[in-house]
Amino acid sequence: MRVMNIEGIITWLLKIVLSPQVFAPIVFPGLLTALMVLLIIIWAERKIAARVQMRVGPLYVTRRLGGVLQMLADGARYMFQEFIIPDSADKTPFVVAPVMALTLAIVPFAFIPSAPGFVPIKSQYSLPAVLALISTIPLSVMLMGWASNNKFAIQGAVREAFMGLAYEAVVFLSALAMGLLYGTLDLEEAVTKQWLPGLLLNPIAAFTFFVGMVMSAGKLPFDIVEGEQEIVAGPYVEYSGIIFGIGMGLAYLKLYSLTLIYSILFLSGWNPVITPLYSIYPGLAGIFLFIKSFLLMLFIVFLRAVYGRYRLDQALRAGWRVYLPLSLIAVLLSIFLRVVNIV
Amino acid sequence: MSTSSENGVVYSRLIAKEGDESIYELFIGPQHPSSGHMRFIVRLEGDIIVSVDPDIGYVHRTMEKLAEGREVIKAIPLLERMTIIDSHNVTLGLVLALEKLLDVEAPPRAQYLRVLLSEINRISSHLYGLGIAGIMLNHSTMFMWAFGDREVWIQLAEDLTGARLTHTYSVPGGVRRDMPQAFPERAEKAIRYMERRLKDYMEIFLDNPQVRSRYEGVGVLKKSEASRLGIVGPNLRASGVKYDARLAEGYAAYPDLEFEIPMREDGDCLARMQVRVEEIRQSMSLIRQVIKKLPQGPIFAEKYTRLLPPAIRQQVAQTGQVKFPGIFASLKLPEGDAVSRVEMGHGEIFYHVTGAGSTKPYRLRVVTPSFRNVILFRYLMPGHRFMDFPAIYGSLDYFPPEGDR
Repeated sequence: MRVMNIEGIITWLLKIVLSPQVFAPIVFPGLLTALMVLLIIIWAERKIAARVQMRVGPLYVTRRLGGVLQMLADGARYMFQEFIIPDSADKTPFVVAPVMALTLAIVPFAFIPSAPGFVPIKSQYSLPAVLALISTIPLSVMLMGWASNNKFAIQGAVREAFMGLAYEAVVFLSALAMGLLYGTLDLEEAVTKQWLPGLLLNPIAAFTFFVGMVMSAGKLPFDIVEGEQEIVAGPYVEYSGIIFGIGMGLAYLKLYSLTLIYSILFLSGWNPVITPLYSIYPGLAGIFLFIKSFLLMLFIVFLRAVYGRYRLDQALRAGWRVYLPLSLIAVLLSIFLRVVNIV
Repeated sequence: MSTSSENGVVYSRLIAKEGDESIYELFIGPQHPSSGHMRFIVRLEGDIIVSVDPDIGYVHRTMEKLAEGREVIKAIPLLERMTIIDSHNVTLGLVLALEKLLDVEAPPRAQYLRVLLSEINRISSHLYGLGIAGIMLNHSTMFMWAFGDREVWIQLAEDLTGARLTHTYSVPGGVRRDMPQAFPERAEKAIRYMERRLKDYMEIFLDNPQVRSRYEGVGVLKKSEASRLGIVGPNLRASGVKYDARLAEGYAAYPDLEFEIPMREDGDCLARMQVRVEEIRQSMSLIRQVIKKLPQGPIFAEKYTRLLPPAIRQQVAQTGQVKFPGIFASLKLPEGDAVSRVEMGHGEIFYHVTGAGSTKPYRLRVVTPSFRNVILFRYLMPGHRFMDFPAIYGSLDYFPPEGDR
């Protein structure tokens, strides 16, 4: 009787863990996978850059695996470093803002479907919901900069505000173009509508979304907010310890969720679905989605080895004068394609 | 409010009043990722730089005074430390001035060897500058490549002199060591490698549209301004003034060798960087010529080798490694003045040595190229965006320890 009870509890627990409402945000594509991605993509970025630059990159932590656990070591180091709150800082927002930013970076996973019918919160408006959540991250970054009460941090916060406005418009319009094309704002439905990858259906939107994504994640050539050579670390300059680590990881988390959206909108998401995996557990069928977005991330971090940093005004000019009109054209193209009934 | 620099007067400093809240003052350095060993007081209005005050002196080591307190021969390894990345060029001027005072001349072979090491130094100095300019745009690949490839030239210098950075190669009367036998092959290999790499550099950095957009038309130094402010080196030549101490002075073996002075008319950051890359090419051609034309003969002046005991004299001739005569420890500088100018990687360095009949110089004055170029921070920056600050800084190739002496 007792044994039965324990079994019952186990199955009950399993049922909870494996339900999309828990599995998706906690395991895949959510928190755990995101942390794995964080560890691996930063390592990969450093390894790729090292390869281009005639170096070895991270190596001595787990030598046999090419130093793949380097980030874990770095994380542990951050964890045990003293967290200093400057006297002149506004203490409550100083501590709360990074936590808020991290939360806002994780929450979008609640709306991102990873396999057919496998999404924690099924919504008709999952696309705008995800984008809205991602676009609130700059607010907490600005709060970080302002609360730090440091001149460099404030400069960084101002840059974040400028950049945020410039790329958010581009990202939203490109996403809207795809929404129009598929006739839905539901990410799951968007995948089913793609008889051809969205990249080929509307290449302009794919391009503008890509640029907006790189700008949003603050990767080179648009790592303007951190701007090490001018403003040291921008909004993160006064942070130390694990909170600094969170600040660093934030950009990668953003990148991860944006690449997931990109794969769903433009690279036909989890298709082709591997049926045996799907029949074992629906969540596993998201493997292709993961691979696509991971490769995309690898490409974006590779840009670091090729480019330097654009100037703030150049990036803003590009955002407003080039990519915004382009994304409007993408919207028009979508309307046209819709009218000729291609999708 | 606008910032203008008509007739070379920077009005912006007058406009920026104390307590003016529209001005945002930033203190950059000395603890800052891209300040170097110095501080800049940058005033911004919005994103526009209103004024930049370079605050130098953080690495001032009283080089002149230290040199006046010791025997002249010991000033060479001391003054090397001013610009450790270009340490032969920086001391060659001192050696030339001392030779003028002591009335001794280096034999032709030594003159050629001096050119050889000077050009190796120039290449590694320019690579250092390129790398720093790269990382100031956060272009880590350029940084790593330039610093990695600099190793080739440092090792070449090590082959020649026995030291990677502090060569102390030229001494009054000649050079310290002869060229090793295997050197020409190694040098040729290094040159061929570097020629290949320069193409890569152009592709990833100077012809990269992203980098060009940061450099083109930024930090323009007009020809008239350049000569008025007394700018030297590649920064001057990029503004269209054809001045190079190697041409003007014709020291060492330079008059016998053929080389071009790379020039640009634009005077912007891109021009300055291009001049440096061109100079690397010219330096490599000079190294080839030196190896081809290197005359046979002694590497140390007869006046001093005569003072060595015969056994040691023979040993020097055989090994090609000079043993200094005892007189070097108490080399008396005759009364009088001597000046010399030498073209370093960063520009022209000027020495004025006054002897007073003692073993120590009465006065040793040195004007370094970085010290002459530091004024540019004040004149080039105003009116530019704040993010241009590191771009211009990188393109000037300013080296604080050299400027501070």
